[in-house]
Amino acid sequence: MAVYKRSYKSYAGPMTAEWSRFWIIPRFAWAGLFKQRLLTILYVICFFYPLGAALVIYFNSNMSFLRQYVPVPDKLLDIGNSFFFAFTTVQSGLGFILTALIGPGLISPDLMNNALPLYFCRPLSRTGYVVGKMTVIAALLSLITWIPGLMLFGLQASLADQAWWNANAYLAGSIFFSSLLWIMVISVMALALSAWVKWKVVAGGLMLVVMFVGAALGEMVREIARSDMGRYLDLGYNMARVWSSMFRIVEDTGSITLEESIAVVLAYSAVCVLLLMKKVRAFEVVR
Amino acid sequence: MNPVWMSQLWAVMRLELKKSFFNRRSFWIYLLALAPVLIFAGHALEVSTKKERRASLAARNTGVTAEKMRQVRRGMTMDEVSKLLGPPAEKIATSRRQGVERQNWLYSDGRSELRVYFADEEVRGTNFRGACSFGEDTIVFSAVYQFFFLRLMVFFGCVFVFINLFRGEMLDKSLHYYLLAPLRREIVVGGKFLAGLLATSVIFASSVALQFLILNLHFEPQVVEQYMGQGNGWHHLMSYLGVTVLACLGYGTVFLTAGMFLRNPLIPAVAIEVWESINGILPAMLRKFSVIYYLRSLTPVEVPIDRGVPPPIAMLAMNVDPAPGWAAVLGLLAVSGAMLFIAARSARGLQINYGAEG
Repeated sequence: MAVYKRSYKSYAGPMTAEWSRFWIIPRFAWAGLFKQRLLTILYVICFFYPLGAALVIYFNSNMSFLRQYVPVPDKLLDIGNSFFFAFTTVQSGLGFILTALIGPGLISPDLMNNALPLYFCRPLSRTGYVVGKMTVIAALLSLITWIPGLMLFGLQASLADQAWWNANAYLAGSIFFSSLLWIMVISVMALALSAWVKWKVVAGGLMLVVMFVGAALGEMVREIARSDMGRYLDLGYNMARVWSSMFRIVEDTGSITLEESIAVVLAYSAVCVLLLMKKVRAFEVVR
Repeated sequence: MNPVWMSQLWAVMRLELKKSFFNRRSFWIYLLALAPVLIFAGHALEVSTKKERRASLAARNTGVTAEKMRQVRRGMTMDEVSKLLGPPAEKIATSRRQGVERQNWLYSDGRSELRVYFADEEVRGTNFRGACSFGEDTIVFSAVYQFFFLRLMVFFGCVFVFINLFRGEMLDKSLHYYLLAPLRREIVVGGKFLAGLLATSVIFASSVALQFLILNLHFEPQVVEQYMGQGNGWHHLMSYLGVTVLACLGYGTVFLTAGMFLRNPLIPAVAIEVWESINGILPAMLRKFSVIYYLRSLTPVEVPIDRGVPPPIAMLAMNVDPAPGWAAVLGLLAVSGAMLFIAARSARGLQINYGAEG
């Protein structure tokens, strides 16, 4: 065709469904993430505990097999809410470290290099962009938290009797929803910090500061003012409080009620979402 | 020492001091240092304003003690609370929302205060505000200083300042100006380190001095005068300031060296934080390879560990076999000197690749 005959024609090929356009972001991000050796090593380490827990569950139900070789009691330990609560806590902690490494590098390079207009000039909404970035973290964390958690639950359910199932069926929901809540909260926190702090190294450090120093400030208020009000500053405590109730673990939690803990977690997340959406725009005003 | 080196060192220090004190990234350090000051100030203000109010409440609450107030638990009924503590000194609010009747009761023994939240005549929450005495507050100050201020505020402050000395220049793509200047690399390291040390020492030592001042504000002047004049007040204050400066020195050299070798400060920060936290349960030999061991040995007020203290806090509080004062200072200086030497040596072969940073 002659050059002068070439003019604009709109794309006539098949279109990606609007709801699934955000998938482009995690697809490219995952490809780049595992080029970092440290991240790969840490991710592999994250599977050690689930593997160990699976062995414990297996041997716990097959003690007669072990008894042939070594003298052991009838049961290694009681597999119940405390076991799965400990599993969720450990895996979530590892997930937090993983997020501190992955999260800050997700949005800050786009902002630093003024690349957001390049995203938004394509048929991708702001929500789609944020959901896409969150999916990068959420999928990786799901693989180390609720997915192995549910697999362990399934393993135990298949090995235990009906009575165990009747008493502990709720744990499947507890594992799933507690992990999901944690993933959502730390993902938005990581993305908000990544959006506001352009240096990803500093943003990663700030994630630790928010978690550790928040807890420390809370304890300081408790010590100095002799009041539990300081607990409001401690995101980790409030999250553990919500988890305890999901796993039906009874403990003395002072004067902070469950409703207050839920409110604190939601408030933290809401602030992070607000900060995030304020920064993620298709334009930037340079003064 | 060569006089040219001295003038070069001073020139590098001058440049870096401006960055350490007034850089936008330093904003976080001021927040970290100010946070405990604000908490102490809030407490002092609260105690001063509530003193008279609690006394008047106590007059209406005869027989109420702190021990009795601590016995109120969630799930108790109004009658049970009344039986334990008597009628409340004040019923703060009575409201009816969504068919649930809510009431807040207030009790006080003159020094501490208890607020009980009822919904449908059942305790739904309590808020107990304990009393404070001078002796107890001195221990609280020491506990807050050792477990939170040193371990977290000063620690993370030093992470930011000292890793930033080289890593920040890499991010700003300005390190090559130093490397191209006709001065020894050791001078660059020394100048940057001294500037970081001065900045962190001034910021965190000022914070400690302010905390100490505010802590004493809400007590009777005679008690404070006695503590400062005849007691150990000045000795305690000077010890806290000295330990803060030594903490900046110790953590500063560790993070300066880490910043020279590693691109991501998260890894050394987390690893060192974990190492410092488990110091109390390490074997005697390994315990000496940490900064917190020497710092804890130098703090003037020992914090007693109660039986009710949760295990993680008890682990932080443990300081078995502390080092004598002179050995602690010498040990810390030796660790810092060794770290600084490693950093200075590695700076000789320092090469930059800005493309790899971001």
